[in-house]
Formats: sequence, structure tokens, C-alpha cells
Amino acid sequence: MIATGLQRMTATDQLERLRQVLNAALRGKSQVMEYVLACLLARGHLLLEDLPGLGKTTLAKALATAVGGSFARVQCTPDLLPGDITGFSVFNQKTREFEFLRGPVFADVLLADEINRTTPRTQSALLEAMAERQVTVDNVRHQLTDTFFVIATQNPVEHHGTYPLPEAQLDRFAMKLSIGYPQRDDEIGMLGAAIGQRPEERQYPVVLQPGQLRELQQSVTRIAVEPNVRGYLVDLAGATRRHPQVTLGLSPRGLLTWQRVAQAWAFLTERDFVTPDDVQAVAEPVLGVRLGLVPEAGRSVISELLQSVPVPV
Amino acid sequence: MAPDIAQAVRRVTFALLAIAAVAVEIAAMDTRPVLHSVARAAVWIGIAAVMAGRMPIPAQPRQRPPGWVTLIVLALTLAPLAIEPLRRSYGSEGYPLELQMVMGLRNAGLAFAACSGWLLCLRLACVTSLFLMLFAAAMTNHPASFVLLGLYTAVGGVWLMLVYWSSLQRVFATPQYEVAIAVASDRLRLPSVSLIAILIVCASTVAVLALGPRHVGIWLGELLPTSGGTGEVDPWARYGVGDGPEEVAGDNAQAAGMVETDTMIEDNKNALIDAVSDMFGMPHKPPKHQEKMVAGGLTNVIQNHGELPENQRPSRDFDTSRQGRPPGRKPSSRLARGLFEVEGRTPLHIRQVVYTRYDANRQEWLEARKPTTSHLEAEDGDWMRLGHLREANWYAEDDRHRIKTAAMTTNLVPTPALLTRFRIKKVDRPQYYEWEYEGVVALAGRRKTPPGIVITTICRTLEPSRLAAEAFPSPGFNPHLEDVPPIIRNEIAPLAQLWAGDYPRGWPQIAAILHQLRTDYTLDPDIGTPADHPCPVLWFLMESRRGPDYLFASAATFLLRTLGYPTRLCLGYYVSPEAYDRETAHTPVRASDLHFWPEVQLRDGQWLVVEPTPGYETLAARQPLTERIVQFLRALAAWAYRNEVALTVVLGAICLTVLYRRQLWDRVLLWRWRLFPAASWQEQVRRAVRLLERRARWARRPRPVGLTVRAWLRHYSSVFEGCDRLARLVERASYAPRDVPPGVDSPQAVCAALLSCFTYNALRKFPPPPAPARAPQP
Repeated sequence: MIATGLQRMTATDQLERLRQVLNAALRGKSQVMEYVLACLLARGHLLLEDLPGLGKTTLAKALATAVGGSFARVQCTPDLLPGDITGFSVFNQKTREFEFLRGPVFADVLLADEINRTTPRTQSALLEAMAERQVTVDNVRHQLTDTFFVIATQNPVEHHGTYPLPEAQLDRFAMKLSIGYPQRDDEIGMLGAAIGQRPEERQYPVVLQPGQLRELQQSVTRIAVEPNVRGYLVDLAGATRRHPQVTLGLSPRGLLTWQRVAQAWAFLTERDFVTPDDVQAVAEPVLGVRLGLVPEAGRSVISELLQSVPVPV
Repeated sequence: MAPDIAQAVRRVTFALLAIAAVAVEIAAMDTRPVLHSVARAAVWIGIAAVMAGRMPIPAQPRQRPPGWVTLIVLALTLAPLAIEPLRRSYGSEGYPLELQMVMGLRNAGLAFAACSGWLLCLRLACVTSLFLMLFAAAMTNHPASFVLLGLYTAVGGVWLMLVYWSSLQRVFATPQYEVAIAVASDRLRLPSVSLIAILIVCASTVAVLALGPRHVGIWLGELLPTSGGTGEVDPWARYGVGDGPEEVAGDNAQAAGMVETDTMIEDNKNALIDAVSDMFGMPHKPPKHQEKMVAGGLTNVIQNHGELPENQRPSRDFDTSRQGRPPGRKPSSRLARGLFEVEGRTPLHIRQVVYTRYDANRQEWLEARKPTTSHLEAEDGDWMRLGHLREANWYAEDDRHRIKTAAMTTNLVPTPALLTRFRIKKVDRPQYYEWEYEGVVALAGRRKTPPGIVITTICRTLEPSRLAAEAFPSPGFNPHLEDVPPIIRNEIAPLAQLWAGDYPRGWPQIAAILHQLRTDYTLDPDIGTPADHPCPVLWFLMESRRGPDYLFASAATFLLRTLGYPTRLCLGYYVSPEAYDRETAHTPVRASDLHFWPEVQLRDGQWLVVEPTPGYETLAARQPLTERIVQFLRALAAWAYRNEVALTVVLGAICLTVLYRRQLWDRVLLWRWRLFPAASWQEQVRRAVRLLERRARWARRPRPVGLTVRAWLRHYSSVFEGCDRLARLVERASYAPRDVPPGVDSPQAVCAALLSCFTYNALRKFPPPPAPARAPQP
């Protein structure tokens, strides 16, 4: 159940190269990259809540290329239809049959930009795809790729003409991140790297061969979680349900997601078991996407939760 | 538990409590109408029902109830105790204290039933109802109680059925029944509870100090029916039926019995005169051929046809010329059965016979005359007060004794000296008593004081050395009690002047006489006086300088009379502190405790016991608490001064132990960790972490609740070497599967290295770690 030494060495190398690629694509955001990798390895989906132009598309493109998969981008608008995402059937006059034209959801990495601008109907089309990795069009079920990974973005500033994501859909995301502006040195380096190069010509190296991402994800599932750590997770989940400023506590599905992300975090730390540090490390992005808070609640709620539950030894 | 069933269980539990509450109210006073009892119980049931209706149902029934539930239960529990004084003041009835407590328990049960949404309260309510029902069933055989018992059984059956059903359905409450109640996850500890406990302890201490332990003991003794309430303190207290103070502790069955049940046995065995002869020996027999002239009236001579009239009255005069104690007497015959037992401070002198006049010719002390007037007055609570006593300012605090008769040989009521009031329950009228002698009370019309009665006495105490000269009457105040036969006066007057002439009048003179007798003369109970000596007392004072106690007492009496102090001689029982029985907390008095002592009359008419016999003491004055504390402190200081070296060493050791208690305890735990390692390396590492955490707690640098061990150790990694290594080790020990190796050669060495530097003193130098935030990235 634990990765062997050779497998571990291979995985370590792969992860290191993935880090390099992603950090080169998006400078100065190594911590965000770690969360992105954890989300990817945990087979979760990522919600990026950030301003435009901070590198979300770049991140998605680099990630898609690095993991050896295909990339698709959907700019969500109010007139976007579910079929625009999932695909639709057209009548081929030559063959006299309907043919299914695959939508962007069939890519390995899907970037749903400004997801809160599209209608709930279109948003819900993503539900089945994100949760079950399949879509149903015209009563025909189509399987998505094993490594299907959604990066959805939303603008935290503009709320006019938006459709806030329902809690049911938020719970499908593994974590919510914010990239933020880079540091000064990073921006200087970014400017220097852009000299003499057109953005559309920028190429990202392929790190993983087909199937390797799946193996990595499989390895993550085998990371051990001892009973005392599982108990700690459950206690934390209970604390979210009792906290007075939390209107919607952690669901069992969210708890499972938290454990998977913690496993991925331990895997990234090159450990074969999960510690409470891993649980705490991913608490903020995991809980941030799914806890319902009262309007006056601050960002300290998650810290309060972590401080209220004793850590087992 | 499904919500509908949970609600049903709560309601049935409340019904159980309601039935038990009515049953207890009926049992508390089964002589009043049942409807009256039901109405009284209904008031409390109604209050609890209103509370139950307004009580929220918690979402988590298995959690501890919030603090305000405790306050509600406490308030209802204490309500009967608070109301009782009002009932007694404005009503004509009252409950004894034990029933007040039961009523408090009933209210507590009702409060628990009202708060039965919490599982803990539900359980407590059920247990309380069962206890109350059993209490009611045991207390009374009123028909209504049997009806209620049957009803309780039926409802209890329904309750059991509902609880069984509920155990089959593991869902407790659905959201529509739930009320969100914020309950903190950590353990709630009401500060008010601690405060109340501290207040109760303080109030109890103040009460004990103010009333004195003895009064508190008596008061507490009346709490429970089985310990025998006497009504002495609380007029509503119930009488005992078991083992209370009304029972007499004795050596055999005849000596034990209850006041209200024991048959008053009369027999003619073991008269006092027999005991006196047994104790001091038979008087010398007069010569066979001795002519005696008896002055008889003409009428007597005629009626008796010239023969001398027979003396029908048993003589209690005491012959001071005696043969001495018969030799070879078996110890068993000396150890008579306990006559009575004394509870209270000792030594005591219990008078039996009083002698005031000495017949020098017959060498006999003549019994004092019986007082003609009664000076007893009845008081509340069956108390008899001695009404003839005058007020005086030389007395200390009163003292209280309980004397329990077992096998008295006379009809005298054994009472200590300086008696002011006494009490024999049910014998509560002055005409039941008579004065045998001045200061000696007897039961009127009885030959013997029956066994099994309890005599509660209150007597004055005084410190003789503090008596002023005015406390003693002037010479000639009572010539009858200052009379000394000339043959004796001529001999001992110079002696008295020699011993006490230089001392001022009053206690110093008396003390000087007593001191001489107690130091220069030897007590010899077995010695007899020569049959041919004209005055045994002079023989004792001038020649032998040793003798039994009656010679000491007689000599002191004569000496004091010579100095002008009204003095009398008493025969009675000496209650020795050496005979105190710790098991029964009583001092038994036997026939062998017969003793003679003189008594000096004070100006207020009371008799002061003085003790010339070596080895015998008098009852010291009862000191107030402050004096006792000062005396104790002085004694303590003296003891400390005597044992200064040992005390210094012990105190130093204690101080060092207290000062370095944490280091010492830590050292002990560290050695245990080293010498007795755990079975696995994982557990050994965890124990090391617990040691470190204990040190941190002692240094007021505890690991914050949500902080992981790794983050906590990392906080100190720049200070203590080895923190990182131990952090990694702890992660493997605590969170990795058991078959994962430690990753280091010797986990023990890693732990020991950090344990050696991560000390209590070192930790105190550094700030505590911050609360957990987001963990650092890998």
C-alpha cells in the first residue's frame, strides 16, 4: 500500500518537475502551486477566486500541458448554454446519422472562466461532470477522462449580472484559492522573460506521460490515515457544525474531500501517512469553499476552529 | 431515540416523579388528610410542570446540561429549607430537618424531570423517583401510599417499555423538534458552583466555631430519625428508635435500655453502703462489753417495753475509723459493673452523700440534713433549673454533660458540681424531684434511679486561681460548716497556720493547704487506721502521713474549717479521664470510682470542689475559643522549641519539597520513563512527548489546544537542539502505521537528548508558542 522506493523516487522526480514547470509559468506563487498540485492529485476541482489577469489561464494551460493532457477554456457568459460545455449532437447528412460533437468538458483540464456569470442551468451542467466525471447528452452517457480537472474562476469584485454558485455546486470543488498579485521581483522577472516572445508562442514542457497522472493519483489514495488522525478530522468537522458563526457545517462529502486533499498534501511532503499538520495545512482552502458563514464572520473562523480542537498525539 | 418516544419518555418520567412526590408528602405526615398532602405536593409539581413546558429540548441530549440547569436544580432543592422557617413562624407545623432534606431531594427530582431533555437529568430523575418511592413505602403504612406504590409500579412498567422501544430506534430528535443551544465543547465548570461550595464551607466553619463542636454535634445528631432526635435543639425533631443518645452504653444487657421502653427495675442489691464498705473496709466493731447510754423519750421507752428502739433508717454516716480494705480480694469483685456513663469533659465529681458534721466521739462523719425546701423550677424543653442560685461574676463558660445511668444503687440523680440546670426527658416537673442534700438531687418516691435514663446537665465552670477573696465568705458566715471538734482543732490549727498563714485569704490559702496535702502526703487506699487511736485524721496528719482518700478529704475539711472556710465532705464518684473510652466517647463510672473530697462554699451559695488527694483533679474552667487557641499556640511553640532541630529539618525538607515539587516529580517521571520503557518505541516516544508537555504546562508554556506537536517543537527548534528530529519521530510514532520504522537508529536517544535540555527552568525563559495558524508549506 505504500509506494516502493523506486516508485517514490519516480514520483518525487515527477512532482519536482511539475513544480518547476508551474512555478516557471506563474512566478512567485509556489504555495499556490502546491495547493493546485494537491487538488489535482486528490482528484478534486479548483475554484480560483481572483481578479482578471492574474494568470489563471496561464496556470491552467501550463498544468494541462505538463500533465500531458488536453486543455479547454470556456468563457462563461449569460448566454452560454449547457450544450456549449458538454457538447451536442448534429445530424450528418452524409451518414444520415446524428453525431455527437464533444464539448470542452472532454478536455483533461477545463478552465471555466468567470463561472458565476453563466446561468444556473449552465452551471448545473458542470455538476454531473465534476462529481461523476461523465455527461449525459440526449440520454446518452459519455465518460470523461480519468484525470478530468476543472479550474473555475470567479471575480470577487463584480457582482452585477452574476449568478452566485449554489452550495451544492460549491461542495463539488475541492478547494478555493486566490492567486493574488505577484511580488515586485517576480513581476520584474516576468517582464524580462516576456521580452522578445509573443504570449501565444509560449510553450510549456510536457512532464507526465499518458497514465502517469493517474498513477500518481492512485498513489495518493494509498497514503495512510491512522485512526487518531481520522478522529481528529471528524472532531474538526463536528466543530464546524457547532461553531456559532457557521451556518453550514462540513458535510460528510466535504470531510472525505478534506481527507483526500490531506493525503495529497502528505504525498507532496513525501510522507506515506497523514499528520494533523497536513490536515491543518489544507484546512483553509478546503473549508473556505464549503463552509457557510454568517455575514459578519471574518476570515478567522477557520483559525478558531483549528484552535478549538485538541490535536491527538 | 425517536422524538415522539423521547417526548413520551420525558412525560412518563415526570409522572413517576409526580407520584413519588405525592407519596413522600403523605409519608411525611400521614396523620393529616390525604388531600392536604396531595395539595401540598401539587404546588411543587405545578411549578416543575411550568418549568418543563418552557424548557428547551437540546439537539445533543447526551451532552452535559448547561450551567443554568444546575442553578435551577439547586434553587428548587433549597426552596423547602428556605420556606421552613416561614412555615414554623406563621403556621403551626414544621418538618424535622431530615424531612426537609427529603423534600429538597423531591424538588431536585422534579427539577431533573423538568430538564429531562438532557439524558443525564432523565437518569437522575428516575433514580430520584425510585428512592423517594422507597422512602415513602418505608416511612408509612398509610393506605394511600400503597395505592401510589401500585400506580408507580404500573407507570414504571410503561417507562421501561418506552425506553426499550427507544433503544431500538437510534435517532434521537428530528430537526423540527430541535432547539439549537450553544454548548461549549470543553468541559463546563460553573464558577458559581465553586463559589457556593466555598461559601457553604465558610459558613459551616463559622457556625462550628461560633456554636462549638459539641453543640454542632448535638444538633447534627438530631438530623436523622435513626440516630435519635431528642427535641432538645429542634422541637420538630423526631424521637429516635435506634442507637441514639437515649440508649445507655453498658457492659451487659441489663445496663442497656431505652427510656421509653425499659421497665424500671427495683431490687435491693448493691446498695451504696455495701459499696462503701467494699471500697474502704468495714468499720471497727465496738467492744462487746461497752456500755452505751441512749437518750430515749419516755414514750419510746413505754412503747418498746424498755427495749432500745430499732433504727429502721439505713445509716449513711461514715465511720472514719476503719479496718482497711480486705486483703486478697479478687479483682473481679472490685470491678463492678458500670453504674453510669458520662459524656463530656472530665474529671467530674458526682456527689452521692454529703457530710457536714463530725462526731469526734464516734469518729464518724454525720450525713447532712435533707433540705426542707425545693429550689427547682421547670423551664422550656423539659429543663429543670436550680432556682436558688445567685448571680456571680467569677464563672467561666457553662459546661454540658450527658450522664447515662446503668445500674444506680440509689435514687440520686448523678449530676456534677456547680449544677445550674438539668434535664431528664419526660420527667419534667419539679415535684418529680427532691433534694437529698444541698446540691444533690434525687428522684422523689423512688428507691433507685432506673437504668437507661439520660441526664443532660449544664454546670458552671470556674478557674479557682482567678477567684477573688470576695468570692469566699468571711469567717463565721456559716458556723455550722466551720465547726471543728476541739480535740482536732487544737492540733491542726497550728498546722493550718503553718501551711497557709502567710497567704492572703481566699484561694491562695486553700491552694496552699491542698498543695501540702498533695505533695507531702501519700495516697494509700489499702491502709487502715489503728483501732485504738482517738482520732484517725490526726493519726493521718501527724503520724502516718499516708492513707486513703477519705483521710485526705477529712484532713482538708478540718484544715479549711480551721481557717474559717465553710467546708463540707462529700462522698461520690470520681469520673476519671483515664477511664475515657474512645470507642463510645463515654467515660464509664464504676463502683470502684467511689471517692471522698471536700467542698468549700462560695459566697453565692455554690460549692467549690477542691481536691487534696494526689492523683485526683478537678474540672478546669471551660475556656473560650480565643484562650484555647492561644493556649494551643503556646503549647505548639513550646513543643517547637523543644524539638527545634527536628522541626527545622522537617520544615526545611517540606519547604524544599514544595518549592521543587515539580522538578522532583519530573525527575521521578523521567526515571520511570528511563527504567521502565514502554513495550513499543512508538509508545515510548509518546510518553516522552507527554513528559515534555507536562514540563511546558508547569512552566506556563503549554502547547495550545489546536497546535500540532510538530509546530510546537518547531517553535523551540532554534533554542533546543533536537526538536526537529523529535518532531519527525513523533510524527512516525503517532500517525504512521505501526510497521513504519522510526527512521533513526535510537528513538530513545533522540527523546533523551531533548528531555535533558527541554527543562522546566529552560522553558520559562522563552515566550509561549503562538496559537495555531495555517501550517507551513512542505
